[in-house]
Amino acid sequence: MNGPLSNPFSITYPTAVQTSLHSGALFARFDPSGRFTAAGRNDGTAVIWDLDTCGAVRWLEGHVKGITSVDWSRHSRFVLTASKDWNIVVWDLASETDPPKRHATVRFDAPVASAYFHPRNSQILLVLLATGDAYVVDLRKSQRSRVELCEPQEDDDDEAQMHRPRSAITVARFDPSGKHIFAGTSTGSVLVFNTRTKTIVGRHKITDKISAVGSMRGIEFVKSGRRLVTNSTDRTLRQFNVPIYPVPSLEGDVECLEFEWEPTHRFNDPITKTAWHAMSYSPDGEWLAGGAADPAAHKIYIWDIANDGQFASTLDGGRETLTSVHWHPNAPSIASTTNVGNILIWHIPVQERWGAFAGGFEEIDVNVEYEEKEDEFDIVGLPKYTGNLLSSQLTILAVW
Amino acid sequence: MSVSSLKFSPDGSMLASCASDKTVKLWDSYTGAVIRTFVGHTQGISDVAWSSDGEYLASASDDKTIIIWSLELFEAVKTLKGHTNFVFCVAFNPRSNLLASGGFDETVRVWDVARGRCMKVLPAHSDPVTAVSFNHDGTRIVSCAMDGLIRIWDTESGQCLKTLVDDDNPICSHVRFSPNSQFILSATQDSTIRLWNCITSRCVKTYRGHTNRTYCIFACYSITGGRTRVVSGSEDGKVYIWDLNSRKVVQTLEGHKGASSDTPGTLVDRAVHHIDIVLAVATHPARNIIASASMEKDLTIRLWFDEDVL
Repeated sequence: MNGPLSNPFSITYPTAVQTSLHSGALFARFDPSGRFTAAGRNDGTAVIWDLDTCGAVRWLEGHVKGITSVDWSRHSRFVLTASKDWNIVVWDLASETDPPKRHATVRFDAPVASAYFHPRNSQILLVLLATGDAYVVDLRKSQRSRVELCEPQEDDDDEAQMHRPRSAITVARFDPSGKHIFAGTSTGSVLVFNTRTKTIVGRHKITDKISAVGSMRGIEFVKSGRRLVTNSTDRTLRQFNVPIYPVPSLEGDVECLEFEWEPTHRFNDPITKTAWHAMSYSPDGEWLAGGAADPAAHKIYIWDIANDGQFASTLDGGRETLTSVHWHPNAPSIASTTNVGNILIWHIPVQERWGAFAGGFEEIDVNVEYEEKEDEFDIVGLPKYTGNLLSSQLTILAVW
Repeated sequence: MSVSSLKFSPDGSMLASCASDKTVKLWDSYTGAVIRTFVGHTQGISDVAWSSDGEYLASASDDKTIIIWSLELFEAVKTLKGHTNFVFCVAFNPRSNLLASGGFDETVRVWDVARGRCMKVLPAHSDPVTAVSFNHDGTRIVSCAMDGLIRIWDTESGQCLKTLVDDDNPICSHVRFSPNSQFILSATQDSTIRLWNCITSRCVKTYRGHTNRTYCIFACYSITGGRTRVVSGSEDGKVYIWDLNSRKVVQTLEGHKGASSDTPGTLVDRAVHHIDIVLAVATHPARNIIASASMEKDLTIRLWFDEDVL
């Protein structure tokens, strides 16, 4: 519906704060429809905000320690919260009780760092513990399971293996198709697992001639899954093209793509060298927003990916330190959170079009010299005109 | 006294009516039995609207308030105050978290239903606002007023997107989006109903034959069995039904003229036509049923069933 009245090609990035929600939130995530945002709080509560009315509509109370991540199921019915109290909870927002009914609660033996739904199946979860272990949890009755994702060690001699430290997983995400799991490690490499077999299908050491990568802090995908961006402790965001991974055969033979990964783009702040808290792609993947970990400012950097990753703009949201950034799933809008718990919703401010108040009036940007056609205002075709009007009413319309 | 508005519930099982006797009544759509009467307004009521889950009713009254009634508790759950004059029309958005209303203070107001708070005041018109309607996804509001203008608004920003106006500017009494939101049906007090294409801002169909010179008479779509009809009341006491595409009157609902109206305030089905102006009509969301109600001399609500259905 928005299409014909507003130009769909004019979608760019937001520039101003539309509203600020006082939520006590550490981070906020839009739901797949973009109508709600879920905020995780340090007191263990998650709050669902309705963005139409800017009001809190659900309070998910159940965790006893801070929430570390929130994720939405594909149709926005379920919300997955992970907490430092070692639990993850799947909430059913369609239930009529308050707080909403828990669809599932899964307990682990360490604080949970993050938990995500499989993009296609809300019964499959990817859970990362603060200890660096990642699990795939299947809640389906027939295949209830919890499988740890581990990197197989090479068959070197025993001694070498003993001395080699096992690298901890610091970030784990499904790709948008849900076929693969991408895990970043503390040694700066990315491991790729097949979701179905849980076997490793790719192992990439990130090579960067300029700086050592350090530990991985975040991975984000574009909607198509063809590109991803990583955040790491060396204060640089890197974009990579995602290769096509081999499908493990039924016998369990594992073919593993192993190569060094060159970033296609690097994004950093060469002057202040700020670290990044979070990053998020625009829905079309043409823009990248990076939330700067600047202690005295709320800054979101926008890069134009379509234009070779050129820096486009900085959004300044005041003095409260930024803690998270999430781009709206289908609009030029961003939700960012501040360290005092406010959620800022960014949008493109609209200019009041006064011409719209007059019927049949069209506003133009620049003056146009109007050239009258020869017979434009001749009063000759009046009966013919009404004839046209009547015949134009004969067209068959579909109103539903 | 008159019945001012009729609306079928989203599932079609109930019919809500409101009237100048300050009450909202709930009827069974199939038997015509009264289910409930809601009392609470201090002045007459002009319009009533259903939330899309069928759990709430909103009524707009001359006491300058809108009351939201719960059908679970059968009582008023919110009173929305803010209009500075009579409230004339009301509509829920499809998600039913917002409510739009218009009134004699010439504004359109957008309300947060859950908190009962006014979110936006749109300086919409220069005369009383006679109808408001949301489009299918709730992103647009259309309003019309006695100044003869139809305006389309962006719900989120409250910005006017365009104005539809006819050359001779007759008083516009009712307006609503088509189910696919590409067209707008408007009723004007020059005895004409028009269908506008909201993208090109052109009038694409006109429907004539009925009489509408003084009152704000409702117009509805009726989409059943693959046929699309336009239904409206008329000041000659009949209900007119046009074919949407051919623009021809396919039926008028009239019966034995001047027959019994001995049971005022009750629901009489399929008998006789109204003996006063038919103000309100409503079409059933799924079946071929039309409800109509008229003014002072004939305080009945009539349910018209397709003979094939009976």
